[in-house]
Amino acid sequence: MVEERAVRDESDEALVQRAQRDDERAFGELVHRYESKVYSLALKMLRNPEDAEDVLQDTFLRAYRGIKSFQGNSTFSTWIYRITANSALMRLRKRQLPTVSIDDADEREVPINIADWAPGPVEQMLSQETQTAMAEAIESLPVEFRQVFVLRDLEELSNAEVAEILDLSVAAVKSRLHRARLKIRNRLATHFAEQPKPRRAMGAQP
Amino acid sequence: MMTCKEVLESLSEFVDEDLKADVVQAMHQHIGVCSECRAEFDTLTMTIKLYRHYETPQMPAPCHDRLVKVLELEKMKKKAGQSSSGSEG
Repeated sequence: MVEERAVRDESDEALVQRAQRDDERAFGELVHRYESKVYSLALKMLRNPEDAEDVLQDTFLRAYRGIKSFQGNSTFSTWIYRITANSALMRLRKRQLPTVSIDDADEREVPINIADWAPGPVEQMLSQETQTAMAEAIESLPVEFRQVFVLRDLEELSNAEVAEILDLSVAAVKSRLHRARLKIRNRLATHFAEQPKPRRAMGAQP
Repeated sequence: MMTCKEVLESLSEFVDEDLKADVVQAMHQHIGVCSECRAEFDTLTMTIKLYRHYETPQMPAPCHDRLVKVLELEKMKKKAGQSSSGSEG
């Protein structure tokens, strides 16, 4: 009991060192700390619970097998997120049809004279139809954009953390995030343009 | 005064408050007088608010149980491998 509490109070760094000395309890505590985060990240990237569970298992199996080679140059959380992101990326690439390189894509991201649908409260805008439109917009993102978008905007990691996890420059993270946001915004703009009175979509009486 | 193109290119960093103070001031000035860039700013900001409102389901308990089983199996494999290599060596 006392030992269990001691493990719970340990830092990630101390747990990693103990796990590297084959302390199974220490690795178990790392799993306990990160399993929900890993699952959540995988689900946001893949939008499929079965695939997310596969990534969860794959991530911790790889972590278990590779813990001794973990050098500690980054934090454990960055390392585990990197394994998760790579595992999810492989599944996304298998699932999606080949697309043009995102860096070569010459696509207009910014519509001209976009209607200003934004000033209403979030709760009024967030109808079931909007959620569906948003889910479709996220699913339509190229995999490299989706990785950045999920880590930066949904997990709310910093640009520097995302850059480290994905082995990108901070400038590349910012660029991909900007384009991902615009793609989602543009899909939502189309969605709201199709709604007769989007700000009255919820709770309003005819 | 910044051009619309410059404003649009920096919009994401502006939303993230990741710009130098003089650029932020210039952005505010432009958006204050340009309705199209104002709409770009408003809709991008609302997009971010909307998807951050959109909650992800929690990890179901069976996922945890299955993960534990998978890791237990891996530990057994590892121990079996260690004991067989130990007996051979």
